[in-house]
Amino acid sequence: MFEDHHIVLWLLGLPLLSAVVVWCLGPTRGPAIRAVSFASSVVVLLLTAMLIVRFLAISGERSPVTEDTVHQESKIHTFKPEFVPGASAEDRHKTTWNILSFGRGQIQFYLGVDGLNIWLIVLTALLMLPSVLVSFRQITERVNEFYAWLLALQTCMIGVFLAFDIVLFYVFFEVSLIPLFFLIGIWGGSRRQYAARKFFIYTLAGSLITLLGVIGVVIACSPDASSKLTFSIPELVHEVHKNLENEDTRGYWSAVQLWTFLALSLGFAIKVPLIPFHTWLPLAHVEAPTAGSVDLAGVLLKIGSYGFLRLCIPLAPDFTLVNGLPIITWLAAIGVVYGALCAFAQDDVKRLIAYSSVSHLGLCMLGLFSLNAIGIQGGIMQMINHGLSTAALFLLIGMLYERYHTRQLKDYSGMASKMPLFAICLVFASLSSVGLPGLNGFIGEFLCLAGIYQYEVIDRQQRILPILTVLGASGLILGAWYLFTMLRKLLFGELREPSHEGEPITDLTVREWGLLTPIFILCVVIGFYPRPILHTTEPDVERIGLIVKQARKRAGLSIDPPPLVTGRADVR
Amino acid sequence: MSPDLQNALTDFIPQVVPEIVLGVSACVLFLGATFRVSRHVWGVFALVALTLASFALIATIRSLPLFTEPPTTFDKSKWPLYAAPVLFTPLALFFKVVGLVTGFLLVLLSWDEGGEDHAGEYHGCLLLLVAGIGLVGAANDLLTLFLALELISLPTYLLLYLPRADERAQEAAMKYFLLSVFSSGLLLFGFSYLYGLTGTTNIPALLDMFASGQERLAPNPEASTQQPWVGVTLLALVMIVAGLGFRITSVPFHFYAPDVYQGTTTPAAALLAFVPKIVGFAALLRILGYVPGLSAFERPLGTAMGEQVPMLLWIMAAVTMTLGNILALLQDNIRRLIAYSSVAHAGYMLIGLAVVRYLANAPGESVGGVEALLFYLVAYGAMTLGFFAVLHYLDSPDRPLESVDDLAGLGKSHPSCGLLLTLFLLSLIGMPLTAGFVGKFLIFFDAMGLSSQNAEQARLYRILALIAALNAAVGGWYYLRMIGVMYLREAIDPLPRPRPAPVVATIAVCATLTLGLGLFPQSLLQLIRDALPRPNAQLVARAADEGQAVARE
Repeated sequence: MFEDHHIVLWLLGLPLLSAVVVWCLGPTRGPAIRAVSFASSVVVLLLTAMLIVRFLAISGERSPVTEDTVHQESKIHTFKPEFVPGASAEDRHKTTWNILSFGRGQIQFYLGVDGLNIWLIVLTALLMLPSVLVSFRQITERVNEFYAWLLALQTCMIGVFLAFDIVLFYVFFEVSLIPLFFLIGIWGGSRRQYAARKFFIYTLAGSLITLLGVIGVVIACSPDASSKLTFSIPELVHEVHKNLENEDTRGYWSAVQLWTFLALSLGFAIKVPLIPFHTWLPLAHVEAPTAGSVDLAGVLLKIGSYGFLRLCIPLAPDFTLVNGLPIITWLAAIGVVYGALCAFAQDDVKRLIAYSSVSHLGLCMLGLFSLNAIGIQGGIMQMINHGLSTAALFLLIGMLYERYHTRQLKDYSGMASKMPLFAICLVFASLSSVGLPGLNGFIGEFLCLAGIYQYEVIDRQQRILPILTVLGASGLILGAWYLFTMLRKLLFGELREPSHEGEPITDLTVREWGLLTPIFILCVVIGFYPRPILHTTEPDVERIGLIVKQARKRAGLSIDPPPLVTGRADVR
Repeated sequence: MSPDLQNALTDFIPQVVPEIVLGVSACVLFLGATFRVSRHVWGVFALVALTLASFALIATIRSLPLFTEPPTTFDKSKWPLYAAPVLFTPLALFFKVVGLVTGFLLVLLSWDEGGEDHAGEYHGCLLLLVAGIGLVGAANDLLTLFLALELISLPTYLLLYLPRADERAQEAAMKYFLLSVFSSGLLLFGFSYLYGLTGTTNIPALLDMFASGQERLAPNPEASTQQPWVGVTLLALVMIVAGLGFRITSVPFHFYAPDVYQGTTTPAAALLAFVPKIVGFAALLRILGYVPGLSAFERPLGTAMGEQVPMLLWIMAAVTMTLGNILALLQDNIRRLIAYSSVAHAGYMLIGLAVVRYLANAPGESVGGVEALLFYLVAYGAMTLGFFAVLHYLDSPDRPLESVDDLAGLGKSHPSCGLLLTLFLLSLIGMPLTAGFVGKFLIFFDAMGLSSQNAEQARLYRILALIAALNAAVGGWYYLRMIGVMYLREAIDPLPRPRPAPVVATIAVCATLTLGLGLFPQSLLQLIRDALPRPNAQLVARAADEGQAVARE
């Protein structure tokens, strides 16, 4: 009746439909617009909950190891999306819906869910709810347009994660710029025009190079006119590996990988953002309205790291292993420290959190690019955790700004006595962001560091000074430093409020509580029981692990580094 | 009546019935314009004439066979390829359809244009333009081609001059006239060399002669430098490309564009941005031998004119898009900006032309390059005409829309106009879900898609694709500036609310095309594919054998 792939389609269709409805309601019907947006985000959240339940039910059988135990070393591995709409009768992992057919292949409307994207979709749906709620009072002008763009942004973000066709992925990746451009540009702060344009052009330039990389991979996979042309990511990964395993084509493919990696990673590195491509981020964050910041930090940045995971590593495994890994991990490690130091120097709280994103995502990239199961799982965890805690921080700062219309730390002092509930929430969000054991941040940071430690110390035998690990770990300490400094300046000490023109200042309202609660609950749940997430991501992380393992074999590295912790990669 | 003349009439006339209908209607309009009648009458008359021409085209399709079958004999009467002045090929049909649709859009766009007393002439000129597009698409002879191109140039001078007679409009018209005449002269000069070398003005015959000459030279590349005809051909080609480069506004023949676009009226600028590009590219495709299926000898496309032509086009494409985009960054006047943007888009389209030589060799495969070029051309037409149509709709004599800043706050004061302008601008940037993206994607795809056999060319064209990608990002800046001004700034002096006018129909059609082709590109791509016959695998193989046999002799 209501089948699995219908959920996938509704996840994409419902926000888009609501966006159109909201737009058509016109700017004057505020309550109706808010109700529709709220209802839509609740329903989408429920749909993702259904998706999780159904995915958990089948995730046990998805491990590539159980699929084929005998030949798993030599077998060619690729992604296996589930719940594919329009799946063909013989293979449920492939679709038959074509968008544009070339003579020898077609671009398809190929959506699906697997362990790598399912939690990011949940994150998108979850963060939509507070984004809508927090804007109830903040946005008073052109209300219909605001919610329409917000819902359109949600569609694009869910689309990027769901897409399994490389062109479809790119389409969503690029279209997501338009809603955010308007969200920042119309409802942003004082320098919104400049910020919106810089964000758009910066990302556009990167993604156009990514487009060349995408086309390059597709064409390299069908070298002559008689071979089939494919745009499906699983098939492309399969083709790349077939060619790499084949002695005759390997030489050509080593050259192709260099360009694939460079072209693809440029767009994603700007999105993540890695040092030195991060300059657009603080500006965009500071100028964006709260809902925009939440979506930008919570989800959009993850599109970059997700792109690395989904496209860059599997499509250029050899180059990633030999050359990409040192480049990216060094950039990421420098980013961890640089972002933290920059964050410490800021007086504008939003800017501080923006730089802390640079630092946290650096750690996430360190995890992903340690290229072992622990690190990749840590990277995925870090994406989710950063989404939750940074979104909470941005929401809280947005609420403060709504009351006092300033974000400068020097204007505040001792707010804990004036707004105790707010103070509790801010401390909680900061602790989650810092990585207090028992909260979500710890799990991701620990796994990332364990992954990079495994790469450096056990793999590369750098026993004297595992410098990447040290840099990564220092990010945690520095993170505690700047966040606690912020808390001290903002919350504690003698009470000093900025002028607020006689408006009564209330503590957090029920609506504000309500929108923070789901995030906080999830923070605690993940902190104590991360197993469902690790369990569902495991099969697909293993696939990437196997892809990397084959690349290691080709590169002449030892195939099985001694494990850091005995047993499986997850923390039980 | 001599039998030759009779043959010519019986063969030729039925193929150009739509053009004849348009020509006669134009004459009626020119004569009728002496009487004082409301402009609406002439507008309706032009629409009726276009509709009649469309019916005539449908009748032609029904009664005449399309010229698609590869020849089996050299029977001249059965097979007019090497004799007929025009050929009703699938590609010609494609251009005729594009011309008619453009005609409808332009008539509606310029409904209120110019003085009441010139409306008749104005619409007559538009009809002649449409006839010219159809003839250029069908031309099979250098002379027909040249006449058809002039059939477009001459009304264009009038169209630039008629609606506005102030100093700037006169300057624009004069500038365009002088440069256009000069470029026609260059073109004709180039044609004369081709005629001098081959003794024929028939395009397929001429191309076949050059191709067989090139094939003879191919085994011994050094000898080609000693052959005087190779140099003369190149000289001729450079002049032809220069003459047509003026029409597609490629650098360095673009100088007139910004001044003329700025000086003339919005509908005339819209026309200049699109119509000369259609015919320029149609003529280039034909003369460079990039249209498949028009030869008795099946050989890889584009071999006739030598290896230097793709290189020439490569350089032109790179310089055109780069210069166009960079100069557009500096503009404040909307029409000047779009003029440079049309230069930049000509650069992207030239990529499609530049790769044909290396792409189309695969048998049984779609014709890369040409396909992308034609798709881009249609997409470009939809978004540019749409953009100009919205500008024209908002423009009024007492509140002219000149600089980018005049658009300030449009998103708020005119929500639907703002939304439509945004759609066209996003398409011009090349954002996904619009026609512009599909066009760019196809162009990039072809530029990256060279087979690894010619590694050197493959590298060169990848560099071209990279240049194009960087250019597209630069282009993003100035289009985005307009979107930014519309939505992110408050109106200082809001534009008045425009009255509903027939131009709304043009806007609607263009918006539908821009969005529709972005969401469902398959339909147009299939049409284009049908318009281009695939190279036949067996014939290509046979032609290669024959070529080797000829070479051995």
